[in-house]
This record gives sequence, structure tokens and C-alpha cells, in this order.
Amino acid sequence: MDAAERALLETTVRDTIERGALRGGAAVDDALADVGWPEMLGAEPREAVEMVFRALGAANATASPLDDVMAYALDTEPRLDLAVVLPPFASWDPPGDTTAGRVSAFGLATARTVAARQLLVVCAAEGELSMAIVDAATVDVRSVQGLDPRAGFGLVRLEDVAAQVSALEPRAWDEAVALGRRALAYEMAGACRAMLDLAREHARERVQFDRPIARFQAVRHRLAEALVALETLDATLDAAADGPGPVTAALAKAVAGRSAQTVGADCQQVLAGIGFTTDHPFHRFLKRTMTLQGILGTADDVTFDVGRRLLAERHVPTLVEL
Amino acid sequence: MRIRLSPLRGTRQEAGTDIAEFRSALHAWLDAHHDELAPRFEPPGTLDDHVHQMQRVKSILFDAGWMRYGWPEGVGGLGGSPMLRTELGAALAARDLTDSGLYSLVEVLAPTVIDFAPGELAAEVVPRLLCGAEIWCQGFSEPGTGSDLASLACRAVPDGDARAASRWVIDGQKVWTSLAQYAHRCVLLARTGAPDSRHRGITAFFVDMDTPGITVTPLEMINGVQEFAQVFFDGVIVPADRMIGELDQGWAVAMSILPYERSSCFWQRIAFLYRRLQQLVEVAPDTERAAAVIGDAYVTLHALRSRSRVTQHRLAAGETLGAETSIDKVLVATAEQVTYDAARRVLPGLVEMDDSGLGALWRSEYLYSRAATIYGGTAEVQRNIIARRLLGLGGDE
Repeated sequence: MDAAERALLETTVRDTIERGALRGGAAVDDALADVGWPEMLGAEPREAVEMVFRALGAANATASPLDDVMAYALDTEPRLDLAVVLPPFASWDPPGDTTAGRVSAFGLATARTVAARQLLVVCAAEGELSMAIVDAATVDVRSVQGLDPRAGFGLVRLEDVAAQVSALEPRAWDEAVALGRRALAYEMAGACRAMLDLAREHARERVQFDRPIARFQAVRHRLAEALVALETLDATLDAAADGPGPVTAALAKAVAGRSAQTVGADCQQVLAGIGFTTDHPFHRFLKRTMTLQGILGTADDVTFDVGRRLLAERHVPTLVEL
Repeated sequence: MRIRLSPLRGTRQEAGTDIAEFRSALHAWLDAHHDELAPRFEPPGTLDDHVHQMQRVKSILFDAGWMRYGWPEGVGGLGGSPMLRTELGAALAARDLTDSGLYSLVEVLAPTVIDFAPGELAAEVVPRLLCGAEIWCQGFSEPGTGSDLASLACRAVPDGDARAASRWVIDGQKVWTSLAQYAHRCVLLARTGAPDSRHRGITAFFVDMDTPGITVTPLEMINGVQEFAQVFFDGVIVPADRMIGELDQGWAVAMSILPYERSSCFWQRIAFLYRRLQQLVEVAPDTERAAAVIGDAYVTLHALRSRSRVTQHRLAAGETLGAETSIDKVLVATAEQVTYDAARRVLPGLVEMDDSGLGALWRSEYLYSRAATIYGGTAEVQRNIIARRLLGLGGDE
């Protein structure tokens, strides 16, 4: 894909997602299918994931192409009527358990789950990794309002349900989590960019003490700090795309959580009163990034896990080279 | 040893292949010559030890050719992308073969002389810097300048008409001049315009440090090391052919350093910080606190390294680096302090109470790391630049 093709596609994806987000419901997922998202994911996964998830974050859209990303990483053809059961909030262990062709699981349901025909559940039992496909009708899904009802997450519980079970390579789940984390981190980056744009615009327009607040150094430094956090996340995502793998993706997710915390706090402070109301769109991005921080592991937990591995191996790899 | 040298202006992937080839050949050679290159002193070592070690290592590497890759052929180099010398500096830092702060002076000063000094002068002196025969210092900062370099006051007065003068007379004072007491030459910024001409009235000179009228008084830093000095210029005569760049164009000379400092030097510094974190991980207790603190430092270093990599490739692709390197500067300063904070948190007493050589090393470097948010433009100045130039927030008060 050359730069011009990429730019054109980026615009198409962004417009599609923005228009779909205005219609609400499953409109974004449908629209993405119309512009060929599943094919893009198969042909150019790197570009597809980056474009779609950045745009999702920027539009604060309710959609779950994350299901497609996880399915694709698990070598399963993505389709709109297939939902993937995610681990519970803040966890990244496989959500399911299986014995003799029957599956039990507890995890997060994505926005797609309610309308899905089948669910994909990755199971770990006695060190063996497997993938179960279950009939959605046999599953108990409870919607969760929580902090960000528009994100569309719910809780899903399966108790001893019949399934088609197939074995997975030992690393398959780690690879799926890695791609999922990258997708989520792109979405958080898109949302962070939107928060910074809102705060920057406000700082330039809001007049206090006879001048725009952007003239005050304390405000400028807060926004500068937010931009540093955001650019850092972009670079870390770039490194994870150039050197894909569980560790670079984990680090990108950790940086996403950390950067979102910084950008959210700085922009909220700069937006002050207006950012505290639901009249202003800021709150939606803040709530979305807070929610996404916990999907497939919080920054704190991922960071702790990485640190524990460094200590266990007594080795600090550089990962990124020129 | 033969390394394929292409200009490295293609895609990142193409550049990466050549660089990877160079890196693996370099590391194999460094492994094979470990005993010859290793420091002859126990850590932490004195400043004399470090300076001597750096010059010895540069000399060995110059003779073996490594020190010449990435430098133009006109100054004794073997050509190729500047990223090759970045790799060399990083490899030396990652092995603690040279002090990365001292070594970075090469990267700060040589490109300036190559780009702006008369060709014969560069051809004469740059090889002497690279091969370890000379040390150069940077005479930029003054007691009155701080982060506002354009306010410098050290004067250069022409002996006769400015355009035709055969020599200049320098009077003034510099400070924070690293290694001035060891230096053979100084890349000096002096005021040649009116006192209030700011960046429009500054000229750069290449001054021999043994010229009569120069007095060097070392300054003891917070860690007890005398790395910096005050340098006094009292009627110091400099020939006109030692002017670097054009008259009153010294600001451009000074600014030309930034892209190198903020790409190559940072990459080397990052390699050094990974080395320190590695050393910390080797001795850290197997506790949850250690895992959390070390994980946090590692995430910080990885984010910085990812950012710096993007910057190196932009420079190698011929882009002009500007205000966005202030982000790199904020990150490298933060990461340096986070790394040393991690050591202090993981091993309580290491910095405060440990009289072993290792304790002395961490103590000294911990204290030095506090300067990371001060030198090269404070963290606050970087944020001002980011706000004005990258966020378009207009001027401040």
C-alpha cells in the first residue's frame, strides 16, 4: 500500500466509522463489513488494525472489530455473527475451561455478543490450549452499564455447555492477546488524540484574566505533557508493529494505559468546568479509555508481569533496534 | 572485515538490514577484543581514569576502522550512514567501555566542524578527535545564559574591519564546559554583534586551548566529580581562519548540533541506561516491589527507545529534525531519572550507605542523573517549545 492509497483508505475508514457512530447500535460493524474490513485484516493486518482502531477511538464508536482481530489471530475466519469471549476485566488468561467436549467459561462479552450466533471461547485445561465454538443461544449474557455503557461490554457465563472443541498451538493465545492489545492501544491512542484536540481548542478559546488560558505556562505545560505521552504511545505502537510479538504488544498496552492516564488527567484539568459536564464530549473519551485500560490487562498488571519476567530471567532485552 | 555501505536512504527495512549486519560484525569484534578494550580500573573510577580509557578505546577503534564508519571520507572516515557511528557509540555504552556522557562530545562537536569549518581545518583536526589524540570542549554556556543561550555575552572583537580582519580577540567567561581541563580545542560561541543582538550576532570559533589568555577552573559537581569547568578568556587571539561558519551565523552552527545530540547521543545514552537496568536486575531481590519498580523502569526505557528509533530513521531519511526532538529530550531526561530512582527503590541504602565500588558508582550516577532535566535546555524550556511549536498555542507571557 503506498502513501496515497493509505491516506485514501484512512479517510474512508474514518468517515465510515464516524457515520456509523452517529447511527449507533451495530451500524459501525455493518459499515466496516461494507468497506471490506475483514478482507483488509487478512491482507494487510498491520495497516488495517491501526487505521480502524485509531478511528474507533477518535469517534468514540461502539463497535467490536476486536472480535474479528482476536478471531483472525486464532486462525478463524472473522464474521459478524461470531463473538469472541474476552477474559474478565484486568485479566488476560484464557477465559474458558473444557473437559470432554463441554465448556465452562467466565469473561467479558463484547458489543457484538447479543446479536451473535456463535461464541469463540479459548480454553486452557491442564496446560493444553484449545478453542471452543458454542451456540450463542446456550449462553447467559448480562449487559454491564458500568462507567461507559456505550462501550457495549457485558458479562458472559457458560456452564458446562456443549461445544465443538479443537486444539490450539501453545502460543496461539499469547499471539491473539498480543494483537488484541495492540488494537486496544490504537483505540486508546485515537481517544487520547481526541481528548488533546478538545483541550487544546478550549485552551485557545477560553478567556480568563483577559487572555486565552493557553497563554498561561501552567496550562501550556499540562498540554505539552499530554502530547509527550501521546507521541510516546504512537512510537511504542510503531515498534510493536515493526517487531510484533507478545512482549512488544504488552509494552504497548502498558504505555497506552499510562499515557491515557496522563492525557486524561491533564486534559480534564485544562477543560476544567466544561469538561466536568456531560454537555461536553470529553467525558466519553475519558470513560472509554478508562474502560479499555482494563481489557486484556491494566497498565499496572502488565507492567508488573513484565518486571517479574525480567527478574526471573535476570535479563533486560532491548527489543527495538535501528 | 568488510561492511557493505549504502547511503541508507531507502526504507526503514532496507536500512535496518545494513545496520543489523554492521551491528553483528561490530559486536563480534568487540567480543573478540574484550580484554584489550576493557577498563583498567575498578568502578567507579576517577575522571582521569574515564578520560584515559575513552582515548585509549577510541585509538584502538580508529586503528581497527570502527571509529571511522559513518564519518565522511574527507575527515578520515570510511563513509556510510551516521547511524553506523550511533551503533558504535551504543555498543560501547552497552558494554561500559567508555563513559557515554564523555564520549557523546565527539558526536556533539565533530559534525559541526565538518559542516561549517573550512575544509582543510576539518580534514586536519577531526581525525585527531576520532583517533583519541585530542579532546574538544564546547564553549557555549555562560553564567548569565542558563537555558537562554542567545543571551550570551562573551565577546569577539575583530582586529580591524570585521570582514577583513586577520584575527579576533576574545574576552569573556564560559561555564559548564565539560572536560575543559583536558581539552586541546574549544568550539566557542562569541558575541560579534551588538550586546542585544541575541541569535543574530553570534559567531562560532575553533580555539586552541593552549592559546595565551585562557584559564580553566574546574567546578566540582554534586557527585564530587570535576567534569565541568569555568573557562576564562582574557584577550585571547584567534586567527580569522578559525571562524566556523560565517560571521554572525553562529546560531545556525549551534543549532546544527541539536539533530545529532538528540538522535545519536540519545541512542547511546539509552543503550547505557539499558546496561544499568540490566545490572540492577542482576542483583535485585526477587520481590513484588522489585518487579513493579523494574517493570515500570523498563516500560519507560522501552517507550523512549521506540521514540528515539523513529527519530534516528527520520534523520537518516534526510528529514530536518526540529522542535519535535524536544519530546525525545523530555523522555530521555525522565527515563534517566526513573532508572536511578528504580535502583534507589529496589536496593535501599545503595545510594545512601554503600561504600563499595558499586555503591560509589550508583551514588555518583544517581546524583548526576538529576541534571538530566536541567542541561541541554531544562525540562520546562522543552515544554515551552512543545507548547509553542508543536501544539500551536502561540506565545506565552
